[in-house]
Amino acid sequence: MSDSLEKSFIKQLKDNQNIIHKICRLYTNGEDAHKDLFQEITIQLWKAFPKFRGESKFSTWAYRVALNTAITLYRKSIRSISTVEFESRSYFISQEDYNPEEEEQLKLMYKAVHQLNDIDKALIFMYLEDKDYTEISETLGISEVNARVKMNRIKSKLKKILNP
Amino acid sequence: MIKELDLLKKDWKKSENSFELVSESAIYRMIHKKSSSIVKWILIISILEVLLWTGISVFYNSDESLKKIKSENLIYYFKYLTELNYVVVAIFIYMFYRNYRAISTITSTKQLMGDIMKTRKTVQYYVWYNLGIIAISMILVFVMVFTADPKLHQLSSKSNGLLLLIVFCAIFILGVVGLFWLFYRLIYGILLQKLYKNYNELKNIDL
Repeated sequence: MSDSLEKSFIKQLKDNQNIIHKICRLYTNGEDAHKDLFQEITIQLWKAFPKFRGESKFSTWAYRVALNTAITLYRKSIRSISTVEFESRSYFISQEDYNPEEEEQLKLMYKAVHQLNDIDKALIFMYLEDKDYTEISETLGISEVNARVKMNRIKSKLKKILNP
Repeated sequence: MIKELDLLKKDWKKSENSFELVSESAIYRMIHKKSSSIVKWILIISILEVLLWTGISVFYNSDESLKKIKSENLIYYFKYLTELNYVVVAIFIYMFYRNYRAISTITSTKQLMGDIMKTRKTVQYYVWYNLGIIAISMILVFVMVFTADPKLHQLSSKSNGLLLLIVFCAIFILGVVGLFWLFYRLIYGILLQKLYKNYNELKNIDL
């Protein structure tokens, strides 16, 4: 593949890398696994890049490849299997709106989301990213109506995990 | 519940720029590394399988062992079988290549999973085909040797002789097929456990 294609890919990936980081955060525990999945997604994006025609935004295209890699293609390498508990991301909340009660809730929420299965995680991920049901259904290959039904089920699943 | 999800969404958005950023040179290094995806593993295992089974069938049809049996019919039979085998291998390789090329990360998750399973199934059919051929060949060899050898032929006329031989053949063939079945369950069980689980989960959503 030509140098200019490679340069263009690297630049776009660098600018959009948060998408991949967010997926890695959802699908892995621990730093090593995060890096491992990040690398596999990057390789898959690069392999698919020649087919990317720029009809959609790079980010929209990358969502799909990244999610597909996390759910379908990725196999945990032995060294990346980690027992580290998922850490609450509460340190992202800046000092001025620090609220101990909210922080506790958030911690539980993140933990609950981490207990969901791969498919449920994908739906929650797209929900958190403000994707509409048309995009969710197209990405996963399920019907729109059923995507809605499933999302409601996941909400009650989360509720159950939070209040057993 | 909505309240908690809203809270999560707020935090999710806030943490958007909190990741340790990967540099351009690191990305450059990554795209020159090898993938460790299941598709790659399926490809490697499939190539090994085709080589193994093609190797076995070439070995199995070797003239040496045929001459020992000294049966004209058997020689004809194996000649046609070898020719048929080449055609089947060619069709199989074409189908496998076509399925493999169809695997794309930009299709929907469900289709991607379906395409991967189709690729794997093609190889599986090839293996079953080979097992079938081996079973048939074994039966034929047993029958031919049996009818050609007068001593053995005599044995069969005694009570239970024939029955014992058939039972022995059946157990032997079932044992070989069973062993392979177990082996495949193990390889693909480990490799594709996650894929099956997620595929069923997706399929169930649309039920």
